[in-house]
Amino acid sequence: MEPLLLTKRERRKLASQYAELCLTCGTCAGGCPVTGVDGLDVRKVVRLAVLGLDQEVVDSKFPWVCTLCGRCEYACPMNIDLLKLLRSARSMRDRDKVPGVLHKGVEMCLKTGNNVGIPEEDFRYLLEDLAAELAEELPGFEVPIDRKGAKYLFTINSKEPFAEPEDMMFWWRILYAANESWTVASKNWEGVNWGLFTGDDAAMKEIVGRIVQNYKELECEYLVLPE
Amino acid sequence: MKFVSIHDLLKQYLEEGRIKVDKSIHHELTTYHDPCNYARKSERAFGHGYYEEPRWVVQQCCEHFVDMYPNRANNYCCGAGGGAWASPYVEERIFYGRVKAKQIKDTGAKLLIAPCHNCRDQIMKSLRKEYDFMDVEVKYLWELVADSLIIEPREEAEEEE
Repeated sequence: MEPLLLTKRERRKLASQYAELCLTCGTCAGGCPVTGVDGLDVRKVVRLAVLGLDQEVVDSKFPWVCTLCGRCEYACPMNIDLLKLLRSARSMRDRDKVPGVLHKGVEMCLKTGNNVGIPEEDFRYLLEDLAAELAEELPGFEVPIDRKGAKYLFTINSKEPFAEPEDMMFWWRILYAANESWTVASKNWEGVNWGLFTGDDAAMKEIVGRIVQNYKELECEYLVLPE
Repeated sequence: MKFVSIHDLLKQYLEEGRIKVDKSIHHELTTYHDPCNYARKSERAFGHGYYEEPRWVVQQCCEHFVDMYPNRANNYCCGAGGGAWASPYVEERIFYGRVKAKQIKDTGAKLLIAPCHNCRDQIMKSLRKEYDFMDVEVKYLWELVADSLIIEPREEAEEEE
């Protein structure tokens, strides 16, 4: 009887060469708060991947209830790239089957420059309006939009202009107190890259590239992502 | 291309005296949540985990500090990382967070500092309610610093210089 060479299985895309090293000790699963959810855990996901049962992993919700926190990987005695495995399972999902709003957010960001689709004029108006409000307390305060040559370029979490705009003032107060040279870009200012979560490397690269472009065009010295 | 972490920036402002804070504003027992990305995953990806910098910043703004157990690289995730805050698996997210909730409650702290949007939202808007610790206030790290600031308003003329 011919030995079954798992590494030669055609369908096996999920398991890396490192997954072979798994001792099945269960340290990963033992320290994970979602062990058992959906009938799976990290150790079992590695077994499925090594056996070439990729589709079972991709179709399960486990890679999505896992928060990719990396505690399992940190503890793994064989140093297996568990996060890469779990995120690859997310990548292998058809885009229309990505749970919830995550992929819609990625598409929105590619289209409009931020995850929730705030138009540039609304964004500018909001920042100017809030800045004027803060200037009543802090004389001379302003939000420098597209300020060329500023030392720090700050990205913004779209959640704030969308739902909690006044929370942006925490940083603004600090930057005012420090008398700092900083700026915000009027376009592609989104600091939250959902391509990281959906396993979409191409989108992730495009979104990061736009931030880098802002950084270069505005001739800033440092990039700050307060996420 | 150069990057700066918010932890290094806040620490630098405080060390150089560019901002001044009053720690007597926050006298309650305070604890700190290590977000996966700034801590364990930063260590793995960039060779440096932000464990000590935020703790130092917190202690410039708070009189009484206590760590959760376990902490730093072994800290538990809030339960909403990796996009879980925006995912439809709400029940699983809350179930995940039970460990974090217990860690927080065990410290006895009344103020929790989280330097991550996601962690802050999960703990403040969800876990506090689900696991009954509404008496614990939750702030971003930069919110804590902003709330502790002693700001000397600039003169308009000075701004023009």
